[in-house]
Amino acid sequence: MRNKNITAGIFLTALGLAYGYLTAGLPERSLPNMPGPSFFPWVLTFCLLVLSVSLVVQGLRMAEDAPKPAGKAGGSFPAVVFLGVFAIYLALLPFLGFLPASIPFFAVLMVMYGETRKLWVASFSFGVPIFLFLLFRNVFDIPLPRGSLSLVESALSVLS
Amino acid sequence: MNPDILQGLSQASLPINLLATAIGVLLGLIVGMIPGLTISSGIIIVLPLTFVLEPDLSIALLLGLYVSGMTGGSFSAILLNIPGTPSASATAIDGYPMAQRGEAGQALGISITAGFLGGMFSFLCLYLIAPLLAEVALQFHAADLFSLVFFGLTIICSFAAKSLVKGLLSAIIGLLIVTVGQDPVMGTARYTFGDVNILSGIHFLTALIGLFAIPQLVGSLTDTGVSTAGARQHFGSILPKWETLKKIRRSVSIGSSIGAFLGILPGVGGPIAAFISYDYAKKASKKPEDFGHGSIEGIAAPESANNAVTGGALIPMMTLGIPGDPVTAILIGALLVHGLAPGPLLFIERADFAYGVIFSFFWANIFNLIIALSGLRMLVKVLATPKAMLMPAIALFCVIGSYALRNSFFDVYVMLFFGLIGLAMKKLNMPVVPMLLGLVLGKQLEEHLRVALTSSKGDISIFFTSPFSLLFLSLSAISIVWAFVAEHRKKSNLSKGVAP
Repeated sequence: MRNKNITAGIFLTALGLAYGYLTAGLPERSLPNMPGPSFFPWVLTFCLLVLSVSLVVQGLRMAEDAPKPAGKAGGSFPAVVFLGVFAIYLALLPFLGFLPASIPFFAVLMVMYGETRKLWVASFSFGVPIFLFLLFRNVFDIPLPRGSLSLVESALSVLS
Repeated sequence: MNPDILQGLSQASLPINLLATAIGVLLGLIVGMIPGLTISSGIIIVLPLTFVLEPDLSIALLLGLYVSGMTGGSFSAILLNIPGTPSASATAIDGYPMAQRGEAGQALGISITAGFLGGMFSFLCLYLIAPLLAEVALQFHAADLFSLVFFGLTIICSFAAKSLVKGLLSAIIGLLIVTVGQDPVMGTARYTFGDVNILSGIHFLTALIGLFAIPQLVGSLTDTGVSTAGARQHFGSILPKWETLKKIRRSVSIGSSIGAFLGILPGVGGPIAAFISYDYAKKASKKPEDFGHGSIEGIAAPESANNAVTGGALIPMMTLGIPGDPVTAILIGALLVHGLAPGPLLFIERADFAYGVIFSFFWANIFNLIIALSGLRMLVKVLATPKAMLMPAIALFCVIGSYALRNSFFDVYVMLFFGLIGLAMKKLNMPVVPMLLGLVLGKQLEEHLRVALTSSKGDISIFFTSPFSLLFLSLSAISIVWAFVAEHRKKSNLSKGVAP
């Protein structure tokens, strides 16, 4: 807890300083007797700095952390892989569109969550995104991004 | 009878609204009972749908989910000794021993019935108190409203966090994020770095999806599976007998009263109400020695409290625009998407809608009882659903939910960014709930502060001369001092080796 408090306190102090720096650059459009756009951010900067410094002080006054027990196999590796996969998916989503991007994404996640049956992975990774795409497009009138699908469709319409 | 009440009742009783409520209840029971899925996750799943639905339909769906999510949480608590929601933790203490004795059906029946009674009690509180409170709140000026929102934030920080400093910091981060975009009074662009996407600010529902869902998806990766054998046992009779109902009446009364009262206080929430009710029911019981070994009163008290909290939490949400817990914060967001701002004016400008919400809550409790009792045997089979199917689907719903809000990829990236913030906060033991409340209340807080100071020509004494403002600021000070004292006492007890 000690180390966590100190880390959080230092990070938030830095955030407070950066926020204060940006606040100082805000345009002053204050009318007489009226607090300007930077008034509330200054109040927040002050509170953030006071509280984050007090968190550091609290951390420093705490007893040393007990040594960590041996961690589970893998540690934070699965989380990093998950976030990496998610980030790649989101990066590809605007270009590929919902369906072509979501099908492999769903399959990878199913495997990551422990599914080993190939038929199940294949059927769910195709079935769920297609179902959601059609549901949102046709029932709820929410068009999900089409990306490459719309390109293929427009190319086909040009050809025909 | 007030025509708005009749209008609200007929609106909530439309077949389409009743269907939405019933679907919400079904989803809530499923989401609530699956360990690891929270009611907030369930709401994230249905959130994209609410953008296209009419406001009364959206709220009926979400209220159904909210009410039944509490009940669903007790199913896995009783059958597997794993609370589906944090509020069901107290139910597991006596529910699981009953299930082990082969009385799972009776335990589940008591849980559902007590939840229904608690929910109906809180409906009455909501129906009777909300309009009166809204009338009082109409007299509030900007200074009073600022102090009220401030009180809401401080009480949440002191209740929702183990460390007050961390709770306040979390709320400040939420407030800080709200300042991004145009300022609410003059429309000046702040911290936008010239990006037009940021000009309209960060939508709090996008932030919420990231903050709640991403840490849950990551957490489920490393969770070990749970045995679902308890879900396959024979339940026997579920409907409680008249004799049983007579035995639990005292516990239900205690749980309902405590739940509804604590629900009104922002940030207290179901788990605290459930444990306090359990404790009081034990003290008031003729057989306190049975508690912890499968006492029916030990199930009835926390379950009635859980469901009574829901109606209680709707009171400050509807009348003051202050959410009582994360779910009511999401409800506020869902209403704001439709251009409806919860608060005292809702009872003046859209009184029919306000009463519609109250009666949707009534129907949600009725459907919760009917669906839970009649579909219990089928519903518990969901407990065996593998997470390899659930979690990827939730990931897709996160993306759809954040995209559909404004048809913007920017919001999807913001969602992932907030997911990373949520993970970092979890790692550093910082509570997320105060941040969420900061995100919801931030704009109001700044607006009321600046309007109050403008009206007083910069004189801060305006906050201390208005009786309402003075009351709320005093309560804020009390809640902060109380939390500091409690924290200090806990630490000194720990250092002395005394159990807290």
